[in-house]
Amino acid sequence: MRIGKIIGKVTLSRAHPSMVGASYRLATPLAFADLRGEGTHEAEPFVVYDDLGAADGSLIAISEGGEAAQPFRPEPKPVDAYNAAILDHLHL
Amino acid sequence: MQLGKVIGTATSTVKHRSMEGWKLLIVQPYQVDGQTPDGDPQLAVDTLGAGKGELVLLSSDGRGTRDLLGDDTTPVRWSAIGIKDE
Amino acid sequence: MFIAKVTGSLVSTQKVDSMVGHKLMIVEPYRLDEKKRDGLVTTGRTFVAVDTVGAGEGEFVLVTQGSSARLTPETKDLPIDAVIIGIVNTVHVERACVFDREAKD
Repeated sequence: MRIGKIIGKVTLSRAHPSMVGASYRLATPLAFADLRGEGTHEAEPFVVYDDLGAADGSLIAISEGGEAAQPFRPEPKPVDAYNAAILDHLHL
Repeated sequence: MQLGKVIGTATSTVKHRSMEGWKLLIVQPYQVDGQTPDGDPQLAVDTLGAGKGELVLLSSDGRGTRDLLGDDTTPVRWSAIGIKDE
Repeated sequence: MFIAKVTGSLVSTQKVDSMVGHKLMIVEPYRLDEKKRDGLVTTGRTFVAVDTVGAGEGEFVLVTQGSSARLTPETKDLPIDAVIIGIVNTVHVERACVFDREAKD
């Protein structure tokens, strides 16, 4: 899981039936330099499925790829990025 | 599998239930030379008590991690499965 | 998932059996304008994605990539790696609206 920073949210006007009612957040994945406060936070943001209630500015653990859909098992859901944890503190 | 350096730890209160009780390492993956960073830092569950500055062997085997955590629904893919000897 | 604009569709007559009846759309991923952070700009890349929601040309959609693209009843047996799972209504960044479907039309 990469560490991401929540910068916004996305709403849908129509969704696949399995995705109706979901909450989508926009997150920027953080590089090592970003974690050290020396980075530019310029990586391309992407959309993350969130059922933990992350807020703007939250740091989260982003599960990507096939693992992102595991929490919904046995129900299939086309999720490729999932908020696995809202991070309280990074001890660097 | 890949080498990575432990650069810190992360704590979390609100998280997927499968992660309760597990320590989360922040690991910077490296190429095999142990010096060249390879991609963004990753969060990995720690089974070994790895400490900051140590080089660990990371596995991206999600199935292994699901077995480790004893939960088929965990979204966690990476785990630290070894600490490299000095 | 990523946000993309539907820029066209693709017709293929000769294709593997499982793909018959599925609509293929050309999508162009968009990203937040890096400097101004007040709108979405194209990345210049293009993808082909299977449509599950009836997206039309010019619409902004949400696309799932990789093995997760097969995790819908419609796509579970398809040899695909990208699927359109929703039509984007709004995008907000730091509380400012950077995309609104209504305003766009």
